Parts: sequence; C-alpha cells; structure tokens
Amino acid sequence: MTEVDVRRKILADNASAAESLRESFRASSTLVVNLISSPGSGKTTLLEATVRALKGRLRLGAIDGDIATERDADRLRRAGIPARQILTGGACHLDARQIASALESEGDRLAALDVLFIENVGNLICPTAYDLGEDFKVALLSVAEGDDKPFKYPGIFARAAITVVTKADLLPHVDFDIAAVCDQVASLNPSARFLVTSARTGEGMDTWIAHLEEALARKRAEAPVPAGARV
Amino acid sequence: MGLAVEIYRAARAVADERGGGTLESVTVAVGELAAVEPDLLEFAWRGVVEGSEDASACLVVDWRRARQACRTCGDVAERAEGSWLRLCPRCGEPLRVEGGDELDLRGVAFTAPESVSP
Repeated sequence: MTEVDVRRKILADNASAAESLRESFRASSTLVVNLISSPGSGKTTLLEATVRALKGRLRLGAIDGDIATERDADRLRRAGIPARQILTGGACHLDARQIASALESEGDRLAALDVLFIENVGNLICPTAYDLGEDFKVALLSVAEGDDKPFKYPGIFARAAITVVTKADLLPHVDFDIAAVCDQVASLNPSARFLVTSARTGEGMDTWIAHLEEALARKRAEAPVPAGARV
Repeated sequence: MGLAVEIYRAARAVADERGGGTLESVTVAVGELAAVEPDLLEFAWRGVVEGSEDASACLVVDWRRARQACRTCGDVAERAEGSWLRLCPRCGEPLRVEGGDELDLRGVAFTAPESVSP
C-alpha cells in the first residue's frame, strides 16, 4: 500500500477557479454579489425589486442555481435583465467552475455588467464553503424562518458581509425578535451590515440599494488603470 | 455532499498522479469553524464512493478544535455556545481566528494496481 502525505485545501481547485473569475471581474469592474439563504426566503423577489430600483441606471445580470427548473432565471428575465440558470442536478451549491462555464456560454449577454448577482441554490450550509469569485456574500433570512437561525447556521452568517432580513411586512404575524437576530449576527461577524427589508412594501430597499452602489463605487475606485490610460 | 465529491476528486488525483490504484483511506483535517459535521461528511463519503472502484475506501476525519485569540486578553481558551462567537467573552473585542477553520486533504493511502489481489 502506498501512503502519501498531502498538504492541500480540499477546495483548492475551486479556489483557483474562483481566483480566475475574480481577476476577470476586477478587470471589468463588475461587482459580484453571492446571495445565500434557505429556499423561499426571497432571493429572487429581492432581486426583482433591486432590478426595479436600478434599471436604466446600472447594467445588471444574474446567474441562478437550482436543482431543477428555470423558474428563477425566467422571473429575472421577465424583470428585464439577462439571467442564466444553472441546473445542478441534485448538488446543493454552485461552484466556481460552474460560474465560469455559465459566463462562457452566455458570452456577451453576461459580459461588461456593472453588477452580477449570483443566486445560489437555496441552502444555508453547503454554498457557504464555495468561493465563486464574488466581492461579498449576502445572507438572507426571512422573518418566517425563526429568529434562531444565525446561531444554528453560523457559517454563512459569519461569512456574509451583509445579512438581509426579508419579508418584514410579515412581522405582525410571526414571533421574530429582530434585535436578537441582530445581536447574534454581530457576535458571529462584528463587521457585518444588517438590514431589515420588505420587497413587498419597499421597507429597507433604499438602504440595500445604497449598499450596492457604495460597493460598486469602491470596486471602480480600486480598478486597475488600463495600460492605454497611463501617462 | 459537495465536499465529499471534492475530497474524492482530489484523492483520486493524488493516486492517479502516482500510477493509479484503489483508494484504501483518505485523511482530511476538518476544523470546528469550517461548518462541517464530521458524521455527515463520512455519510456523504459513503454515498460518493459507493459503486466505484474505491467503494471500500474509508474517510478519516482529523477534527481540529477552534483556536481564537483576543488582542487584548491574549489567548481565549473557553468558548461560548457554538464556539463561533467572534467576540471575546471577557472584554467583547473581536477575536482573531488562529486555527480550527481547516478543510484540508492530509493523506491518501492506496494500493497500486500490480499489488491488488486477483
């Protein structure tokens, strides 16, 4: 029997693919946002509302991951942005190679965007570990899911730059302690931003849009100067 | 499940780069902060290798405790609920992760084709 000592990250191949993606997103100054949540928390609905708010001002696009059906990408195309559905065929997350392949097959339709949203497969666990070349992860938590989720699924809430509480219009009907959730997130991730939104009423959407615009402005400010522009 | 597939792919590559063979065991280091449940990972591993040439290969999980330190208080040994808290239980300052977030492939044992029993 041959025994080999190895020193490599389990996700080294994914990390390498993600780094290539990040480099190309940096070159095009495309802000990439990886949305992660449980199924039904409102990722697509938040994106539809985001498109309504930013349409005509920014070039937006989306990649959607699901086990089956084109429904999410169909909704976003109807909202007016290019969207590519990745069907994972049972896998519970997207990986960087799938993103690279989707971008390649979409060609110009998902090129030269200001913001690319990656709507991950609905799952609070597996997508957390996979770098997709994004600028940051966003965790969504709907008020109907319960206010204990950050401590029960710490991985995503510790890694997400922004936690977005969704469906705030349902608060009168559910027991959901926003302050407790905010405290949990702050203790897992002291630098995370915390938003309370309702895509239905528009609550919190201005703040969400402002965060995206600030992040895009930062990305553009950090963009490498094209060789032809140097004096 | 995705991680189990990645581990299998990486372990297979290690064996194949050395002439191929049947996997006997694969050792991984998994940190407490990696959000991976070892029992579930081993269960997923069985599903990944089932039906393959490596169906009898076992996954060995080397579990690593979280190590976090506070700039103000020094090492913080005790962990509050979940061990994920990033604030010092003594002074409330953010903690620095010094270990326990590993997801590493550490060892691959395989039997070369010529030495496999007929």
